[in-house]
Parts: sequence; C-alpha cells; structure tokens
Amino acid sequence: MTVSQVNSSSIFRRNPKLAWREIDGEVVIISPDDSILHELNETASAVWHRIDGESGLGDIAKSLAEDYGAPIETVRADVEELAADLSAKNLLLAREGEA
Amino acid sequence: MGRVQKISADARSLYISIGNVSMSLRFFEERLLRSAQARYRDFSGSPCDGIRVTLNDPAGFSAASPRFEYRLRGSHLRFSKRRAEFRNVPHEYALDSLIRILLTVALLPKDGFLLHAASIVRNGKAYVFVGRSGAGKSTVASLSPVGTVLTDEISLLRRTERGWRAYGTPFWGEFRAGGHNASYPVAGIYSLAQAAENRLEASQPKDLLRAMLPCVLFFSSDTGANRALLDVLTSFSQTVAGFRLHFKKEASFWEVVAR
Repeated sequence: MTVSQVNSSSIFRRNPKLAWREIDGEVVIISPDDSILHELNETASAVWHRIDGESGLGDIAKSLAEDYGAPIETVRADVEELAADLSAKNLLLAREGEA
Repeated sequence: MGRVQKISADARSLYISIGNVSMSLRFFEERLLRSAQARYRDFSGSPCDGIRVTLNDPAGFSAASPRFEYRLRGSHLRFSKRRAEFRNVPHEYALDSLIRILLTVALLPKDGFLLHAASIVRNGKAYVFVGRSGAGKSTVASLSPVGTVLTDEISLLRRTERGWRAYGTPFWGEFRAGGHNASYPVAGIYSLAQAAENRLEASQPKDLLRAMLPCVLFFSSDTGANRALLDVLTSFSQTVAGFRLHFKKEASFWEVVAR
C-alpha cells in the first residue's frame, strides 16, 4: 500500500505472524519468514502500540498529537506515511475492504 | 570418549550432552558412529531421558507428524518432543550441522540459544565475543591463553537460576583446539570490530540485540518460536553487560576487557 492509498480513515492491524517486543521504550520486530529485524523509533513505537485493527489513522494521529502536543496535520501526515511504509514491509495489514 | 551401548543387532547408541541437553544418538552405520565418537569425545553423556535421535534408520521416518522439520543440503531433520530423526546424513559434518539445528529448538524452552561467538574464560567468568564470519572470533581465541577457550565459533548461552552461563560446545571454527565441556557465568558480551587501537564502548540493550540477532542460530519460521526467541534474547540483552569492542589483533585487547 502506498502513501497515496492511505488516508485518515484507513484501518490497520499488526501482522499476527510477527514476533515483537518493546526494549528501551522502542519496538523491535522480527518477521519469522525472513528473520529480518525491524526497529521502530520512539514515536513510531507509539503509533505501533495504537494500531489495534479498529482505530482509523486519523484517530491515532489525534491521540498522538494530544499526547505529544504536536500539530495534528503534521502528525497525521507522519502517521499515514509510517503506516504505508510498515504496510509495504508487510508488518501492518490493511483491514479487509480498506483501500 | 562418548559412552556407547549396543542396543540391537543393527544399531548402537552414543550418549552425549551439550549445554546440559542430553541426546542419545542411535547409529546404523559404523563409520558414522566412529567419527561421531571422536568428534564428541569430550561431551560424553549418560543414558537418560534426553532426546532420542535416530540417524539414517533403514526403516525410514516414523509416521508421526513432526513439531519441527528442516532440510539441509539433502539431509532431513524431524523433531517431535523428545524424539528426533535424521535422514540422509552422509558424514560427520552433516551430523554436526543437524545437531546444531536440533539444539536451537531444544534449547529454547530452557531459555537458551546458540550464538556465533567465541567464549573465553578469564578469572572464572566467560567473556563472549560475538561477530559474523571474519569478525575476529578465532583471532580473539588464538590470542587467549591455552585452555581458556570454550569455543571459538558457536557459544551456547543459557539462563539459569543464578544468571546467564556460557557453555562450551564441540562446534569449532578455525581454532580447532577441541571442545571444552564446561560452563561459566557470563561476564559480558562484546561485539567485535577490528580497529587500530583497543577501545571499549558500552552498548544499550537494543544495540546489543541488534548486534546479536544476525549471529543467532535459529531455523524456525514458527511465530511462537520466534516470539520465544525474542523473549530470551531481550532478557539476555537487558541482563548481561554489552559492549562494542574495537580491537587490534594483539593480546593487549584483554587490557580493556578484563584486567
């Protein structure tokens, strides 16, 4: 999924095949199929924790903007870009029927 | 010498123990048995409730579906609970590889794992030097006193009630000084980087995990197994002191590691 296909109403879930843990406040992920280690920084980890298969990216961005005191438009763009990136790596899966 | 027991007219068993994981290897071929006896002579075990491994059984695989299965260059491993079957094992080197693979599965529930690392004993503690091929594991081993090297290639690490311990293994690289079947508490783990001068740099747990992961021997694509592995590695990296060791190829590197 590309950034242009992702918007505020897009809903994602974490790939259930992944092994992931938080260490030093940051999420590390192993994809068993290829044994690649993925690392998320603190803010990406905050997004990862909020991905629940039900919340839209807009809601997640709003929650983050409140917690971090950041402009909602900036946060929304960053969240959508991150979701597209993680989706392209098969770490996140778009909910059925999502663009 | 590993203990051998004749168990039938066609097969004999060799009992070994690596990192406190016991195995009975059941051979149908004298040649393979003899080479295994020599290779694992310092890792003798006793008949007990270990993993029962059958090699090249003329009867073929059992019908039971395996919990773990792996193919390696024509050889085939199947493992279910306490029983393993190896097929098409042409020589001791293939056997050695299959035992390593089996160990990675058997160690996981025991909070253990295999790591491409040299382990060297100093002052009663094990110093673990991790790195991919060419990083300097054998160099570090060759620059250490005779008799102090647990392994120069593959370290076996396990969490015990008293902390993490490094175990000697019969898995050797260029050093080839023979196995050292003993275990010691882990003093620290050092990610190797060859340099013009010796220098030590503390690693955060995440940095240590990043350095270790490409060097962990693991062959399962099962999600649960990978989660368990990540738990074990996370525990290790958060418990054991980790460092980046910039070292030159001289024994003086010990001056910055352990005085």
